[in-house]
Amino acid sequence: MKEKAGIVDTLEERQPYITRKQEKGQTIPLACDNNSLAGAISQRACVYSGARVVLNPVTDAVHLVHGPIGCAGYTWDIRGAKSSGIETNRSSFSTDMKEIDVIFGGEKKLSNAIDELVGLYHPPVIFVYSTCIVGIIGDDLEAICNTASQNHNIPVLPVKSEGFKGNKSDGYKAACDALKKLIKIPPKEVAGEKKPEVSPEVRNPKINILGDFNVAGDVWLIKPLFEQMGTEVIVSMTGDSTAKSISRAAEADLNLVQCSGSMTYLAKWMQKEYGIPYLSASFFGIEDISLALRKTAEYFGSEEMKKKAEEILETGTNRIMPEISRVRERVKGKRAAIYMGGPAKALTLIKGFAELGMEVVIIGTQTGQKEDYEQISYSVRNGTVIVDDANPLELAELLVKQKADLMVAGVKERFIAYKLGIAFCDFNHDRVVEFEGFDGFVNFAREVDASINSPVWKAVRQRTLKPEAMELKRAAVKERISGEPHAKEYKDMEDMAVEPEFLHPKLDAAAENQVLERPQDDEMELCNRKPLYHVPAYGKRPCFQGY
Amino acid sequence: MGSALAFKGIENTMVLYHGSQGCSTYMRLHLAHHFREPVDIASSSLSEKGAVYGGRENLKKGLRNVINRYNPKVIGVATTCLAETIGDDVPAIIREFKEEEGIGDDPEKDIIIISVSTPSYGESHVSGYIKALEAVVRKFAENQGEERAIKIPNGKLNLIPVESLSPADVREIKEILEATAGNFIFLPDISETFDAPLRDDLPKIAPGGTSISEIADMPNSRASLGLGIVSKNLALEYLEGYYGVPGHSVPIPIGLSNTDNFFTELVNIFGCPIPDKYQAERGRLLDAMVDVHKYLYGVKAAVYGDPDLVFSLTTFMLELGMHPVLVATGSKSRDFGMKIRQIFKEIRPELEPVVLDGIDFDSLNDAVSDCNPDILIGNSNGRYIAKARDIPLVRVGLPIHDRVGAQRILTVGYKGSLELLDRITNTILEATDTFTAPVQAEPAAYASQGTEEECME
Repeated sequence: MKEKAGIVDTLEERQPYITRKQEKGQTIPLACDNNSLAGAISQRACVYSGARVVLNPVTDAVHLVHGPIGCAGYTWDIRGAKSSGIETNRSSFSTDMKEIDVIFGGEKKLSNAIDELVGLYHPPVIFVYSTCIVGIIGDDLEAICNTASQNHNIPVLPVKSEGFKGNKSDGYKAACDALKKLIKIPPKEVAGEKKPEVSPEVRNPKINILGDFNVAGDVWLIKPLFEQMGTEVIVSMTGDSTAKSISRAAEADLNLVQCSGSMTYLAKWMQKEYGIPYLSASFFGIEDISLALRKTAEYFGSEEMKKKAEEILETGTNRIMPEISRVRERVKGKRAAIYMGGPAKALTLIKGFAELGMEVVIIGTQTGQKEDYEQISYSVRNGTVIVDDANPLELAELLVKQKADLMVAGVKERFIAYKLGIAFCDFNHDRVVEFEGFDGFVNFAREVDASINSPVWKAVRQRTLKPEAMELKRAAVKERISGEPHAKEYKDMEDMAVEPEFLHPKLDAAAENQVLERPQDDEMELCNRKPLYHVPAYGKRPCFQGY
Repeated sequence: MGSALAFKGIENTMVLYHGSQGCSTYMRLHLAHHFREPVDIASSSLSEKGAVYGGRENLKKGLRNVINRYNPKVIGVATTCLAETIGDDVPAIIREFKEEEGIGDDPEKDIIIISVSTPSYGESHVSGYIKALEAVVRKFAENQGEERAIKIPNGKLNLIPVESLSPADVREIKEILEATAGNFIFLPDISETFDAPLRDDLPKIAPGGTSISEIADMPNSRASLGLGIVSKNLALEYLEGYYGVPGHSVPIPIGLSNTDNFFTELVNIFGCPIPDKYQAERGRLLDAMVDVHKYLYGVKAAVYGDPDLVFSLTTFMLELGMHPVLVATGSKSRDFGMKIRQIFKEIRPELEPVVLDGIDFDSLNDAVSDCNPDILIGNSNGRYIAKARDIPLVRVGLPIHDRVGAQRILTVGYKGSLELLDRITNTILEATDTFTAPVQAEPAAYASQGTEEECME
């Protein structure tokens, strides 16, 4: 029999991509940021998909996919990004290339499609996505878009997202490149130095929120917080944005970057080009919301704004704390697995789970970089498995070995968890409730509670009906209800009857011990970690309790 | 009405209501709406004269005409309020009638006339159903006369529900029994009589139903299995008391644990293994329960209907993580509240439902206002409440007259539970779906823009 070397049984070439949390100061021995291994069933998508998810929330744009129908069809209205007005983005336009177009070129078809769409929709901007086949046959997208722009007097922007050109991150870049062209040079009176140190009292400072896609209306819970603080939010990219609001982005004094994977590139460019600095932020979980507001107020250096921020945080926290505490009582101590597209969400989720009293036992991303994984490694406890570009078989084995109670990921991972009898929470684009902001965190907590505490998990522990077990169980239930004398017997019996057979992978005892090992030092360290922010006097701090 | 539901599940049987004409007409209307089948129920058509001087002649005439026109093998005579109150001695009239007509007691060649006392002011249709079944079993057992003492074990299992199941449910249970136990007698079998295929001719009495020889054979069975645990199963008790046929009762097999119980009981009685097919169906139900658990978690439901149906539905909802805030039945039943509370205690002791029995739809409406459920689960009569409160209604039970397919609604077994689960979930999704059609800019705006551009050119 082949000897098992790594944490899970997988392809040898995949082993370097799976590791455990490292001691402080040690570099993380995790391979990442590479192309996916053929045949390994990566959970990642392609360059085109990366570009599509980033750009598609631009509400009034026509999103035209130059390629065969599949590329547009499978990505039609898949992201629950909400719009407060026009929803042209929810239609999926395609040039529907056929065999004959592949042979003779699709340029003509594309320019006809653009003409037709302009006539029908009069959009302020058209994004033209290129797909694998376009890259191969060499249609000159740029030239066609230039001509169309001139003809119709609107920006027609090529998104160079040929699927094979890299991985999803390259798609983000392609999308940012298109956005760059949409951002106009700000008018003179607004432009200039953006350094608050020079002019600390910036009147009505303006900010952009980068990397929030308004899934289920997230942005609508965040924007008011910043507006109450006295800042003007020019645009959130790209959730609920319009061609016009994006074009004004360079007027901002500060960029807040949430989805770092997709938007850091754009933020860096804006810093270089327009001198707009950026801060990374997250709007999920009480700790991160607080951090985001305080950092922003701190940046602008206004005392009034700082006061305002504290007020907002206090009211918000007080409002949701009773519900969060209630859920916390029901879910604390449960073990969570995180598998996300980008590292920013994964990191903020670690804190979110801590606020609910839960611990993270598996964490992975599709597109994390070395530095991201180092940060992740620092944020989690000993024994936590860290994985890059995982595949379903690895995830399944990890979920069982790490004894996860809940997984947070996207649809593709959902059913892995379900089949293993593990609760699940969708933090991807097809969720329908907001998770950001104060109310969003309540939604998240409730969803975690609903999934973990559903009685169906008890039911699925016995996968086949064994009449003998039923008899015992019934007798035991009767006992339990008539009095408690045989409570212990009932418990034994339940253990016997309900332990799912297949959830006993052939682990050797050593591996099992390793999994269960939870060194105390590190937990203490997390517990004693100096709070990153001032703790207001209201209620109990949610995130450091219970360690 | 309950008695008609029972009698209609027996082969070649006609029903006659001893009372005024309306009693049969309204019952026929009710059942025809629900099953969408012709429902012939005769009446002794008592008039004022009959009411004053007694209904003897009318009943005899009615019986005679039914025999002439329909030529049934069995006639079920159920009494109505009028007949009961004026004090007609129905068994005596029937005895007289049989003597006059020269009808003997030989089940082979004679028409069997079974009477049952079912005035509406007595109890609900559930008790009418139970009483009629008992009367049927008793009649056939007694008719065997001297042979009664000699039991010839037939190795069969009697299956007797306490509430009328849908034709689809009956078919499913029969299929399960065929796959596991083999020999059984299902009484009453409405799977054909109330869900008949379209034929070349219109038979006077719909074919199908439990055969008379089978009913006569019931005392010889190795055991009886009752479906339903809230209401007393009189037929089952009779067979146990008089003929020593051991009787077991399980809840109507809706939901995971109830169906598990049903199969466990079958295994206990017959010592047969559970066929792979049903293990797979069970697995599929589990899979579906997991798939939808978040949509259902904490959804507040009001369940109402016949006591045992409500009991099984409530169990299932608790297993799914739903929150039945209101559990109600129109039947008066002492055991109902006790059994419902017991099942809450077993599965979700922290929940405190409102449990009501013997209520009408006005009280149900008030209770729904108090409990504020997200969804109603029950028969069509709750539709006014659902509409007024703008909450969805999942139709189960009887009557379902404002939708089609009542006779095909399957709720029992793993398969039926799965179908019910899908229906409940989709109803909730439909009600909570946030999908909206994309907002497009006004076409008029384009038009004006177009002309502007043209002008500019």
